Amino acid sequence: MILLSFIVLIPFISALVLGVIYLYDPTKPREKLYATIGVTAPAISATIALVIEAKLLSMDASTVFYYKLFDWIEIGDFHINIAFMADRLSAVMLFFITVIGTLIHLYASGYMKGDSGYGKFFSYFNLFMGSMLLLVLADNPIVMFIGWELVGLSSYLLISFYHQKHANVTAGNKAFILNRIGDFGFIIGLVVLFISLEGYGYTFAEIEANITLIDPTTLTLIAVLLFVGAMGKSAQIPLFVWLPDAMAGPTPVSALIHAATMVTAGVYMVARFSFLYNNTPDIGEFIALIGASTALLGAIIASFQNDIKKILAYSTMSQLGYMFIAVGLGAYSSGIFHVFTHAFFKALLFMGAGAIIIALHHEQNIFKMGGLKEKLKWVYIPMLIATLAISGIPPFAGFFSKDAILITAFSSGHHSIWVMGTITAFLTAYYMFRLLFVVFLAPSKKAQKLEPLPNSMIVPLLILAVGSATAGLLGVPEALGGSNLFASFVALPDKPLHIPHSTEYLLSALNITLALLGVALAYKLFARAVHEPLNNSAWRFVVVNKFYIDELYTLLIVKPLLILSRLLLYLIDGKIIDNIINLIIYSYRRVGVSVASLQNGKVRYYAFYILIGVSFISTSMLILLGGF
Amino acid sequence: MIPEQFFIVATLLFSIGLVGVVSRRNIFVVYLSIELMLSSVNLLLVTFSRIDQSMNGSVMALLLIAVIAAEASLFLAMIIQLYRSKRSLDSDHFNLLNQNKGDL
Amino acid sequence: MLENSIFAILTLFLVIGSLGMISFKHTIFSAFSFLIAMLALAGLFALLENSFLFLAQIMVSVGAVVVLGLMVIISLGSIEKNIPDEPYKFYWIALSTLLVTPLALLIYKGLLTLHAHFNETKEGYGELKSMGEQLFSEWVLPFEAVSVLLLTAMVGAIVIARKEKYFKKKNYFDEHKHQEDTK
Repeated sequence: MILLSFIVLIPFISALVLGVIYLYDPTKPREKLYATIGVTAPAISATIALVIEAKLLSMDASTVFYYKLFDWIEIGDFHINIAFMADRLSAVMLFFITVIGTLIHLYASGYMKGDSGYGKFFSYFNLFMGSMLLLVLADNPIVMFIGWELVGLSSYLLISFYHQKHANVTAGNKAFILNRIGDFGFIIGLVVLFISLEGYGYTFAEIEANITLIDPTTLTLIAVLLFVGAMGKSAQIPLFVWLPDAMAGPTPVSALIHAATMVTAGVYMVARFSFLYNNTPDIGEFIALIGASTALLGAIIASFQNDIKKILAYSTMSQLGYMFIAVGLGAYSSGIFHVFTHAFFKALLFMGAGAIIIALHHEQNIFKMGGLKEKLKWVYIPMLIATLAISGIPPFAGFFSKDAILITAFSSGHHSIWVMGTITAFLTAYYMFRLLFVVFLAPSKKAQKLEPLPNSMIVPLLILAVGSATAGLLGVPEALGGSNLFASFVALPDKPLHIPHSTEYLLSALNITLALLGVALAYKLFARAVHEPLNNSAWRFVVVNKFYIDELYTLLIVKPLLILSRLLLYLIDGKIIDNIINLIIYSYRRVGVSVASLQNGKVRYYAFYILIGVSFISTSMLILLGGF
Repeated sequence: MIPEQFFIVATLLFSIGLVGVVSRRNIFVVYLSIELMLSSVNLLLVTFSRIDQSMNGSVMALLLIAVIAAEASLFLAMIIQLYRSKRSLDSDHFNLLNQNKGDL
Repeated sequence: MLENSIFAILTLFLVIGSLGMISFKHTIFSAFSFLIAMLALAGLFALLENSFLFLAQIMVSVGAVVVLGLMVIISLGSIEKNIPDEPYKFYWIALSTLLVTPLALLIYKGLLTLHAHFNETKEGYGELKSMGEQLFSEWVLPFEAVSVLLLTAMVGAIVIARKEKYFKKKNYFDEHKHQEDTK
């Protein structure tokens, strides 16, 4: 199935080609060329992906396509190949990554117009596509980790894209460092996994087959460590602080990486390791708890933000929390389904936000916008659809996926998780509609002259709007009459639910009601004349400053590390090690000077040295010849 | 009289001459010690001549005495020249070959 | 018996003379000790029945070498400030003696392997006549060579000890520069 390798390799090759062309002469604007290559590569990958999915659809649920690129490491029992594997889970991920990815590339070709680093941007963007596809199509955890690291790298490169401003570079560093902390846990987890399997398996299939060989405590440890990696990559508590800062990158980057794809890698990883997490339900509960807390925290902070991209960033964090609730409690299909639908509407929301930002000449504060409903009609309508979707209002996509998650939470018996999730659903509707009303409906302060938007930016919005509207229909659960095509397609080992249909209806009704309440509240507060709220109460102050979590991290972790580094630098490196080296050097020079003083230019001394030599030889001769 | 006596004397003279060359700073004493060493060789040659009963050793000794005279004149000329350049008769003052400049 | 006692006295003078030569601080005293040593050595030559060399040694070694040396020493080496001050002289001598001893022993050991002994001498051994016979027949080439050597040494000594001012040649460029300045 060599097509599998093409899916991954074509974006990488295109990234290389774009990089070479860009570096050949960075100053020459070749936007059409860059855009053509840059958008065609993911498009080809998308086409191939669709072909593969069609093939998979026609076969039964356990079919796996496999292609080995080459043998990589072969040391005794340790056997890693660079190989690709496409089963149904990969196929689902492939679908939205490639299709949405292509649309966002198209959008970016319009968004980044006029930027001097156009070629560089598309090179990095394609690099990201290739890495994400590598991650999803990986045959064994090591190759997945390669993709994992590469997406982290691409994220760093793209966040720091506007590198002239120091703050952007710092944000990129922050993202990479926090990712790295997660990766540390991830790789230790992999190491423990491989050691405890003792050479019985390095690919996912082999690990799954041999998972019973590992004892429960080690299994728990592995599960926790792997989740630490997911915490970093998918912005869960406590490693989420990079995601809002990552909005410093261009909006297409936020749309693709920090909404639709990279941040979902953690969820994908848990789903891929479903055979492991099924055996450790305690860790699953822990994951779900973290997810719920993250969801609630994100929603609370988002409700008080003024920057359009930051609202969407915290919203992403919140929705990711939902996904982890699902996969933590064993409902892998629901989690992946939410990943799927979330990709559509979040990408759409970001792209719309980008369109608004461009139209208003890089203004990002929502309270400085307003009344754009008529002027930006073709942005308003898709964003309205996406907002309806994310708020969980049927029949749009978000309703079915979010509903499934909350039902799982309720039926699992962990009511605290369910309560947190439900409150978050209310808040989600509230802050998303707050955004919509303030930007589009409320009257604007001053007359604004809008920048015209190119078609390349509008068309993807429309396509994704259709997707957001209809994608939910793939996962209509049995209770409401559908056959849940999605779950049956993905065929993950879900934990079965045991609640009657009536409870399901009740819960769904509760969700819808809360969502509508949120909309109503937002309407009441923000649809009329609106002014930027003042931070005049203590509660407001704390929330707007993101609960001071960044400052807490700086105090507890960053500052001690800096102090330790300075200590090492000045004390240990400066005084001790340098002095040891200096001592050695000093000794050498002293010895050298002493030896050099033998050569003092006085011939008498030289004769004396000859005499010493002669005397020595004579003595040895005398001894050898038997003394006198 | 046995040859060993003369051998001891010759060796003794040679050693004393060698000690003088190495130990003294005064150029004249060095010169005289060198002469002493050459004279010890002379003694040895004459002894060998007496043992062999032929004149070969004596002739060599005579020629060596001539060489000693020649070398004496050169030696003293050099001492005069050295004295002119540095106004010193201390062999330790002539150390232009010294590479040992400066400190650490 | 007589020979042995003469030998003993001569050796005594020889050794004391050489030891004094290397020990005295004043150069003149060293030179005089050397003189005594040379005289004693000549006596030893006579003991070895080599009358010609006995005379030759006194003539050259004492009459030429020591006299010449004394001339230079008296002109240069008698001024008090020129004589070097050697504080560690005896330590140096002691150390050198220690180092030279094995060499001396080795030389003596080598000499012992000859197992030599004195025989009665022939008629005319050590006389001028036998010396002359050898010098002009078998040893004529070294003899001539040594005479050339003496000539060279004479010339060389004069050249070395000359005063600088008769030696210095004007540099070519100095000449031209001087001419330009005076134009």
